[in-house]
Amino acid sequence: MKLLDVNGLSKSFGGVAALRQVEGHSVVGETLGMIGPNGSGKTTFVNIVSGHVRPDMGSLTFDGIDIAGKNPHQLAAIGLCRTYQAVRVFSSLSTQQNIDNARLLLSHRGLDQAELSELLDWLKLDHVLGKSAGSLTLFEQRRLELLMRLVLKPKLIMLDEPVGGLAVTEVIEMIQLLKQLKARCSIFVIEHTMRVIKELADRVMVLIAGEKVADGPPLDILKNKRVVDEYLGAQHA
Amino acid sequence: MKLHSKTILGLFVLMALMLPLAASGNKFFAFVLGMTFISLLWATGMNLMYGYVGLMPLMFAGVAGVAGYAMVHFTRTLGWSFWLAMPVASLLAAAVGVALGLPSLRLKGFYFTLCSLVIQTVLTLAFIFFPTYTNGDTGINQVAPPDWFGGELTGLGMDMMLAVVAVAGVLFCAWLVKTPLGQRFVAIREDDVLAEGLGIQVVRCKIIAFFIVSLYAGIGGCFYAAYVGFISPRAYDVLVSMNIWLFVAFGGRATIAGPIIGTAILAPIPFLLQDLQAFKDILSGVLIIVVTLMMPGGIYGAYVAWRSRQAHVASDGDKVQEQRV
Repeated sequence: MKLLDVNGLSKSFGGVAALRQVEGHSVVGETLGMIGPNGSGKTTFVNIVSGHVRPDMGSLTFDGIDIAGKNPHQLAAIGLCRTYQAVRVFSSLSTQQNIDNARLLLSHRGLDQAELSELLDWLKLDHVLGKSAGSLTLFEQRRLELLMRLVLKPKLIMLDEPVGGLAVTEVIEMIQLLKQLKARCSIFVIEHTMRVIKELADRVMVLIAGEKVADGPPLDILKNKRVVDEYLGAQHA
Repeated sequence: MKLHSKTILGLFVLMALMLPLAASGNKFFAFVLGMTFISLLWATGMNLMYGYVGLMPLMFAGVAGVAGYAMVHFTRTLGWSFWLAMPVASLLAAAVGVALGLPSLRLKGFYFTLCSLVIQTVLTLAFIFFPTYTNGDTGINQVAPPDWFGGELTGLGMDMMLAVVAVAGVLFCAWLVKTPLGQRFVAIREDDVLAEGLGIQVVRCKIIAFFIVSLYAGIGGCFYAAYVGFISPRAYDVLVSMNIWLFVAFGGRATIAGPIIGTAILAPIPFLLQDLQAFKDILSGVLIIVVTLMMPGGIYGAYVAWRSRQAHVASDGDKVQEQRV
């Protein structure tokens, strides 16, 4: 069953085409990856799907609902949420308050305390509840971001470079967490390194200069001549 | 902790309601006290917007003016009772506040402030150029005090009324910021994009905030007119907005105690320094600079920061001792 379905998506900023006729879909339970060089339109794609930016053209469907023109808060309410490339938490509020803010949307329909404790335990955040979120390490903030999305009981989480800025050992840990995340919801993940995508994604879309040039399982992408020539370089093949 | 803050709030209520009795012997002090209560109501509304939602509404006094002039029009021309005119005029001001706020909903920080300054200027000009309702630059004098069971509410009765209204305003604000709506305000203040992404309806919350804050401004504006007995465009101009903002910033934004402290210290000063008109403006200018540079959290914010530093020092001390053991 298709979860996210995008067709003919185009967007230009002042004459510069960020996306050209991009189409693609994700299936329930799937982890869909997106790679591409800097400036290829990956973040614009997420910004449009998550309602932060209006597309010039194209249709967007999520879980059978037409989501073109919907606001981020409406999308969050139907189970589509995202994280940001630069980590984004309420940095002067405590971790607990951050979580409380995320719980506002579902309030009584949301998680019960046991489910929340389970998440805190899984993401190892229970010992920093009283600390201000801004004083947490980047890795902790990234985990807090994840937790704040999970309390929304999402169907799809869009992650914009979830390992960006993390130390090598943290990257390995984060990939483990994201692998476990796959059991909880569908994932769309942007990365510009093939290494992370190879481990996580069931399928990969490749964007170059706003155009989708390939779509398939990671191992096929690695053999795609155009992708290797224009983006990955020979050492990956 | 919770009991602690409730006790302090209770003490404040008790003191606010006792003060008019204490000051009732001296007309001048009673008047300064009454003005301080009106300022406190205004500062509490300003704090809701500036402290909790994170927007600095410089059109605050203008919105109060809309209510003040409307109340005078209703009571004078239409012959309404103050107690009907005041809520209707305040609701009208709230509607105007929301309508004028709509174009600035997508703005934040400096840009919102700038936009609100323009709105305030337009309102001040409107007060001058619609003399039918406002009597222009001359203003309206001899505004009647509120009617009260056949008589008029003046003297101690009026001061008590102002105390009750100010206390109600503070208690409402203290309650509101603890509700999920108040929590949403803070989330919007901290990061509106993130708040929206987490499902918070930012625009709707801001509209609600505009409405509530304009109600605060409006109610204060009505009582101001009835208490002072004279209103003019000057009574509701941008300097008034700035002053109210200063009460909040000086005392400590985003706290309940902050505006109370700030208003209690600053609101009486202009009256006590009446003979030194020039000095008064210099003082408030200097205070604005001092607050923005040295005490971004205001007096109460500085106190809280100091106390948490003390707590840190204490707990670090404990740790050191533990290690020794």
